[in-house]
Amino acid sequence: MDDMQEIMEDFLVEAFELIEQIDQDLVELENNPEDLELLNRIFRVAHTVKGSSSFLNFDVLTKLTHHMEDVLNKARKGELKIEPKIMDVVLESIDMMKELLEAIRDNGNDTDIGMDIEDICTRLDAISKGEDLEEVAVESKEEPKVEVQESQEEQKNDAQEEEIDYSSLSDDEVEAEIERLLKERKEEDKKRKESKKKQNSGEKKVEPKAESKPEPKKEVKKAPAPKKVAKKAPVKKQATSTIEQTIRVEVKRLDHLMNLIGELVLGKNRLLKIYDDVEERYEGEKFLEELNQVVSSVSLVTTDLQIAVMKTRMLPVAKVFNKFPRMVRDLSRELGKSIELKITGEETELDKSIVEEIGDPLVHIIRNSCDHGIEDGESRLLKGKMETGTIELKAYHEGNNIVIEIVDDGKGLDPDMLRHKSLEKGIITEREADTMSDKEAYNLIFKPGFSTAATVTNVSGRGVGMDVVKTNIEKLNGIIDVDSNIDKGTIIKLKIPLTLAIIQALLVGVQEEFYAVPLASVLETVRIPLEEIYTIEGKNVLRLRDEVLSLVRLSDIFGVDRVFDNSEHAYVVVIGLAESKLGVIVDTLVGQEEIVIKSMGDYLKGIDGIAGATIRGDGRVTLIVDVAALMDLAKNINVDIKAEGSSEQRVKEKPSDYFVLVVDDSQMDRNIMKKAMNPMGISVVEATNGQEALNIIKSGDYSFDAILIDIEMPRMDGYTLAGEIRKYSKYKNLPLIAVTSRTSKSDRLRGVESGMSEYITKPYSSEYLESVVRKNIKLLAE
Amino acid sequence: MNDQLSKVLNKQKKQISEPEKVVDDVVQLVGFIIGNEEYAIPILSIQEIIKPIEYTRVPQVPDYVLGVFNLRGDVIPLIDLRKKFNLESEKQSEDTRYIVLKGEENIAGFVIDRLTEAIRIKRDRIDPPPETIHSDSGMIYGVGKRDDSMLTILKVEALLKRDF
Repeated sequence: MDDMQEIMEDFLVEAFELIEQIDQDLVELENNPEDLELLNRIFRVAHTVKGSSSFLNFDVLTKLTHHMEDVLNKARKGELKIEPKIMDVVLESIDMMKELLEAIRDNGNDTDIGMDIEDICTRLDAISKGEDLEEVAVESKEEPKVEVQESQEEQKNDAQEEEIDYSSLSDDEVEAEIERLLKERKEEDKKRKESKKKQNSGEKKVEPKAESKPEPKKEVKKAPAPKKVAKKAPVKKQATSTIEQTIRVEVKRLDHLMNLIGELVLGKNRLLKIYDDVEERYEGEKFLEELNQVVSSVSLVTTDLQIAVMKTRMLPVAKVFNKFPRMVRDLSRELGKSIELKITGEETELDKSIVEEIGDPLVHIIRNSCDHGIEDGESRLLKGKMETGTIELKAYHEGNNIVIEIVDDGKGLDPDMLRHKSLEKGIITEREADTMSDKEAYNLIFKPGFSTAATVTNVSGRGVGMDVVKTNIEKLNGIIDVDSNIDKGTIIKLKIPLTLAIIQALLVGVQEEFYAVPLASVLETVRIPLEEIYTIEGKNVLRLRDEVLSLVRLSDIFGVDRVFDNSEHAYVVVIGLAESKLGVIVDTLVGQEEIVIKSMGDYLKGIDGIAGATIRGDGRVTLIVDVAALMDLAKNINVDIKAEGSSEQRVKEKPSDYFVLVVDDSQMDRNIMKKAMNPMGISVVEATNGQEALNIIKSGDYSFDAILIDIEMPRMDGYTLAGEIRKYSKYKNLPLIAVTSRTSKSDRLRGVESGMSEYITKPYSSEYLESVVRKNIKLLAE
Repeated sequence: MNDQLSKVLNKQKKQISEPEKVVDDVVQLVGFIIGNEEYAIPILSIQEIIKPIEYTRVPQVPDYVLGVFNLRGDVIPLIDLRKKFNLESEKQSEDTRYIVLKGEENIAGFVIDRLTEAIRIKRDRIDPPPETIHSDSGMIYGVGKRDDSMLTILKVEALLKRDF
C-alpha cells in the first residue's frame, strides 16, 4: 500500500516535470520538424507517461498517451511530417494529458472528471494513418458522444480492449515494452535511492499486469493523492538532465528555516547595536577589539546563512518562462500574425514565492504585446520591418533585484492616442492630459478600465489585464517601467526584489517616530531647501531634474504629532512603485538596515499604509511602510507644507503661558533662579536631577520654552540631559541654559558639544539671569 | 467477580468525574481595576501579565489602540481599556500593567490601572449582563455577585475582536 502510494507520488512529480519540458520542445519542433533529437525526447515523454500510467491503471490516460505515442513514433521514424495542423492536435492532446494528470493529483484517479478522449484519439489515429484531418474531424463530430460519462466499469472494459489491441500489435513489442518499463522503473528507483525492497515489489507488480488485468485499482484509488506532491515538485531542480545529488524537501520546512533565520537576523542587528553603544562607552579598551571580531564574524556568518537558505528557495525563472513559447505560438496562430519569442536569462533564479506570483502578470504583458504590439505581417512589411515580429523576454539580476524585460518590435505606444483614449473614458481630466509627459501617458495603460483595443477580442481588450499586472507587481514591492517608440516597439521592465521575508529597508525618522521604507521602492533621497517646493492646485510639488514630483509629508499621512520644526531644509525620500513616483518628506534619514517582516496579527491586519512591523536592534518595534497604500493615501492629503511652518506655534498671550524648567539638585539654587525669574511672571517647573527632568519633558505635560540646567547632578548630569533632549527633533531648537560654577574653557566646550545654547556661570546677578532667559524665550520686557 | 469488577469500575468513574464537577462549578478569574470599577477576566485566557514596556504608535487606527509592542520577538497590539470604555485617560502609574490575552486567533495586550486579586467565584453567582446595558453589552460576559461588591466579567473574544 505504502509502496503504491510512493510510486504514485513519484509518478506525478515526474510527469509534471516532463510535461513542463514537453511544451517547449513541441514548439521548437514546429520550427525544426527534422530535429530527431527533439522528436525522440518528446516521444520518450509520451512513452514514459504511458508506461507508468498503465502500470498504475490509469486507463484513460494510458489510452490517450498511447495514441499520442503512435503519432510521435511515426514522426520519429520519418513516416510523418509534423505540420502545424498536426501540431495543433498533438498540443491539444498534451493539454488533455495535463488535465488528466491534474485530476489524478486531485482525485487519485483519472475517471472522475469524465473526460472524453474518443474524439482526440480518433484524430490522432487518423494522423498516424495518414488520413486527411478535416475529414476525420467532421466524421468524429457526427459520431454520437460515446462513453462520455460512463461508469468506471465500462471504461475499464474499454481500456481492456485497448490493452488487447496494444498487445496484439506484436508479442515482441509487448515483451520489449515490459522490459523497457522495468528498466525505467529501476532507473528511477535507483535515482531516488529507494530501498531495494521497494524495487522488487515494484517489479513484481509490473509483471502480472502486462498480461492479465488484476485489480490493484482500488488500492490506488484509496491512496489519497496528496496535493503537496505538486508543491514539492518545483523544489527539485531538473535533475533529469544532470545527475545532481538532490533531495526533496517540503517547502514548509524551508519556510520554517527562513523564519528562524529571520530571528537570527534580528538578533544580529541587536548585537550590532549593542556593540555600537559599548564602543562609545569603553573607547580604547582592549576587549573591544575582541568583541568586534566576534560581532563581525557572527554578522558575516548570519548573512551567509541567510543567503544560503534563500538560495535553497530559489527557482530558475525558466519555471515561468517555459510556458510562454507555447502561448505565443497559439496566440500567433489565433491572431494570424507571425511572432517569434526569444528568451534569455531563463536560468536567473528567484524566490519560489515570487516565481509563483509573476506568472500571471507576464501572461498579460505578453498577450498584450502579441495582440496590440506586434502588427500583422502586411503592415510590418509596409513599414519596412521583418514580416515576423519578435518579442524578447529577458531576465537578469541587478543588485538585490531581478529585472524582467519584455521587449517587442511592434507599433509602440502612441502617447497622444493614450491621452485621447483615457480622456474619452473619463480616466483623466483634460488638464491632466495637457500636463502629462509622454512617460506618464504610457503609464495610463495600467489604469483599470483602460484598453486601446477597438474591439474586445478573445485575447485582450477588456481593460483588466494591465491592472492585474500593476497590482501583482505592487504586491511584490516591484517597479514597472514602460518605454516606447512609435513603430519601433515597447519595452516593459519589471524590477522585483529577490526575496520577500527579509528585506533591505531605509529607516526614516518622523518627529519621534521611525518608519522603515522598503529599499526596493526607494529611488533616491534628496535634501532640498524649502523654497524649492512649489504649490500647484493646492498640492506641493518639487522640480527634480526634468520631473515634477508630488510631495507629501509622512507625518501628515500618519498623523504624527507635529511639533514646530523650523528647519529650512527637508529630506525627501523619492519612492517609486510600479509606474508611479512620490516624494515623501521626512525629518531624518537614519540609514539602511536589514529587516525581517513580522505580521501584526489579525487584530491590526490591513491597516492602510502599514505593511507590517519589524523589531529593531534596540528591541523596539518599527512599522514598515506599505508603499502602494502610501501613494493612495497621499492623494487625499492637502496640506501646504510651507504655510504650516509658522502657523503651528502656539499663541502665548500672557507671561504665564511661558514655561521654564529648572533642573538643579540644590533646593537653594532652584530658589535663587526662581526668584530671579519672578519679575517676568512666567511659570516655573522644578526637577531635582537629569533623570527626573527628562521624565517630565517626555511626559509632555508641559511645553517648555527654556530649560535651566545645572551640570553637577546625581543620576544624570547636565551634559547627558542636554544630549538626551537634543535627540528629540522637536527640542532641536529649545533653549538649554547651563547654570554652573564650572568655568573652564573645556567645560564650556563640552556644554556646546552636548547641545547647550547658553552658559551662565555661578555666581550671577539675578538681572543677568533674567535677561538671558528673556532673550531666549523671546519675551520682551514691558 | 463480575459484580466486584463493575463496582470498582464505577468507583473509579465516580472519582474521575467528581473533581471535574467541582472545577466546573467554580470559575477562576483575575480581577483588575479600570477607573473606579472592578473587572475580571477568566484566568485561562490570560497568557501573561507584564509591567508596561515601550510601545510603537500605529497610525490610522482608533485612539484606543495605542500601538504595538515587542513581546519576546512577537509584535502584539496594545489596547487601552480606559479609552475603549470611554473613560478619561490617565497617566500610567506604578501599578499599571499590561494583560496579554490570548484568544483562538488573536492575541493582544490590554492596559489596566491595577491588578486586584485572583478570584474564585461559583458559576451560579454569575448573572447575565443586565439588559439595559446596550452600548457595550457585547463586551460583558456577566456580572459576578460577591459578598460586598459586584464584578463585571469581560468577554475575552469580544475584547479581542477587531471592531474598526
